[in-house]
Amino acid sequence: MIRHKQTLGATLVALLMLVAVSVMAQDKIVVDFYYPTAVDGPIDEIIAKYEADFEAMHPEIDVVPAYTGSYTQTRDTIRTEIAAEDVIVDVAVMLATDLTSFVEDESIVPAQQFIDAMDTADAFTAGFFPAFLANSADEDGMIWSVPFQRSTPILYYNADLFAEAGIAVPTNNEELIAAAQALQTEDRAGLLLPVAGTFPTWLYQSFAAAYGQPIVEASPAEVFFNTPESLAAVEFITKLGMAEADGGFAVGPMGGSAWGDTPTAFTSGQAAMIYHTTGSLTSILNNATFEVGVAFLPSGPAGETGTGYGAPTGGGNLYIFAAAAPEVQEAAWLWVEYLASDTVQSDWGANTGYIAATVGAWDVEPLKTLVTEKPQYLVARDQLEFAVKEFDSYRSIDVQGIINTALSSIISGNVPLSEAQATLDAAQVQIDSLLAEYK
Amino acid sequence: MLTYRKSTFASHLTTALTIVLALIWLMPLIFSILMSFRPPAEPVNQGNIFIGSEITLENYADAWAVAPWAGHYLNSIIFVLGTLAVQVFTITMAGYAFARMKFFGRDMLLILMLLQLMIPTGVLVVQNFATMRNLNLFDTHWALMMPYWGSAFGVLLMRQTFRGIPLELEEAARIDGANWLQIMRYVVVPLSIPAYVSFAIISISSHWNEYLWPAIVTRAEEVRPLTVGLNRLYQTSEVGALYGQLMAGTLFVIAPLMILFILFQRRFIESFINTGLK
Repeated sequence: MIRHKQTLGATLVALLMLVAVSVMAQDKIVVDFYYPTAVDGPIDEIIAKYEADFEAMHPEIDVVPAYTGSYTQTRDTIRTEIAAEDVIVDVAVMLATDLTSFVEDESIVPAQQFIDAMDTADAFTAGFFPAFLANSADEDGMIWSVPFQRSTPILYYNADLFAEAGIAVPTNNEELIAAAQALQTEDRAGLLLPVAGTFPTWLYQSFAAAYGQPIVEASPAEVFFNTPESLAAVEFITKLGMAEADGGFAVGPMGGSAWGDTPTAFTSGQAAMIYHTTGSLTSILNNATFEVGVAFLPSGPAGETGTGYGAPTGGGNLYIFAAAAPEVQEAAWLWVEYLASDTVQSDWGANTGYIAATVGAWDVEPLKTLVTEKPQYLVARDQLEFAVKEFDSYRSIDVQGIINTALSSIISGNVPLSEAQATLDAAQVQIDSLLAEYK
Repeated sequence: MLTYRKSTFASHLTTALTIVLALIWLMPLIFSILMSFRPPAEPVNQGNIFIGSEITLENYADAWAVAPWAGHYLNSIIFVLGTLAVQVFTITMAGYAFARMKFFGRDMLLILMLLQLMIPTGVLVVQNFATMRNLNLFDTHWALMMPYWGSAFGVLLMRQTFRGIPLELEEAARIDGANWLQIMRYVVVPLSIPAYVSFAIISISSHWNEYLWPAIVTRAEEVRPLTVGLNRLYQTSEVGALYGQLMAGTLFVIAPLMILFILFQRRFIESFINTGLK
């Protein structure tokens, strides 16, 4: 036994020394950075380039980037770490709409505390497009996350077809239908709206806003789903695919098109117009054999005060995690600040197709030159003035599930339009019961 | 064969049905191969219905550039072989113990172990993650393999196989002076080869295709397997679906298993028939 104890003691001493040595070797502050991807291309190389650039400026910091799959997979990985009470991640890109749930379980720290410590705090905040900050702030205006890879839906149109037919680009919903009906043929849809499948909520939000009542406002405890504006939006979307005999516009397939197939259908001439994210602008411009036009999403009636324009934003923000040590959080903030700088946003936007989130990025190379060659990017940027907060609420995953199910059942035609209001009401009751405890 | 000769009609019908079924099962593979050679961004109904307007390797080049595939291949091989090697050892030992040895609580223990089969692996992810962190093995090949080193299914399979070997063979070997290890080496294990092959196929193919656990327990590309690389091609929600690239990547991932299967087809099928596994 004694011999065993000695061996054990010796092993312990050796282990302790090993730990001490490795601690001494790690004089750098290590920042674990998780990022998802949602675009194609060598994203790793771009991130590695930023890492090298950043570490040259801050030799005391070692950023360790890790690709973590989709947004959902990234969230699941981080949730696993939180559940195991062993959080590795220090800073991550997650959906802008993940904010409420992570604030609620106190696993992130507000970016505001770091911004306030900056000499240029006001300039930093003012540097972003306000629409991209809409999902960063809580009800009290405190900023928790920093915009990084952002997008918004826009209208793509086949400019050659419009020129041939002598039709003006639609600016409101009536003109949209007229143009779509004029340009559709046997094997070309007038308008493809990618709302088929399991996630119609994103594009639905732009119609809800255009009809005057966005699905969410400042409070994450309130969702507006059974309003007259919401009903009008759902009816409009559904009628796009309905036969004219049934009161529809018949400009595309019933139930909408599939998200993934829509850009290809457009670039190959099978649709005169599509709604899609700015994220696909680069590949659409590269693949189309015709002149690609880009315009604001056409406006709706919007009530008395609104412009009738409206689009949600999308994409991911940077979050710093509460479990990180204070000095690591400070280092993580420097990395966030770097990624949100005009130079990086300009480069990131030009290389990936995301909309650069800062106003200044558009006056910096390489984006500055890119927009002179491809002015379509500017349309996407300018629409941000009318963009609204993207859906996020308490219990957001559950609420979004309810909304998706209700929308799909109506848009696909499984539920007739005459019962649409009842379907929205039923969904609203479910949502309100989920949100009751937060009011 | 006799029944076939009796009625040519029935035999033709069987053949026709087999061909139809085989085609249905082949469809996804054929679709993947055709899609991967079409020009990117060309819809299915453009050009020739099968090969598009031209045959191109562009998708393969694009897909290859997206991830460090060579490293991923190596990691996948280390993962499945490292897992299998230890599994073969543990299931042989445990299977033999349950099949031949008598000890207190044996049947209870077997039932407890089989209960594991009912626990979905996803439930254990958080616990396993915490364990790997505590063992300081997070983000290593060890962490990938370790949770699979014991296999309840494998133990059950080997127990049943060993029980099917006549005890007399072992006794005869013992009379000839063989010790336990020699009996295992020269009698028990050689007679169970088909069961080992079946187990190896199931183990290799399930771990080759594993995504969740590798994604949770690794961060560095240097230790990640193929599935994580393929995932990059699948996650392009901002740009729409890139089917060509995705199919090319899918073929990267399934190619080794497919080649193995074609090479050892007869062996595989025999072993499945021998063990009664379907």
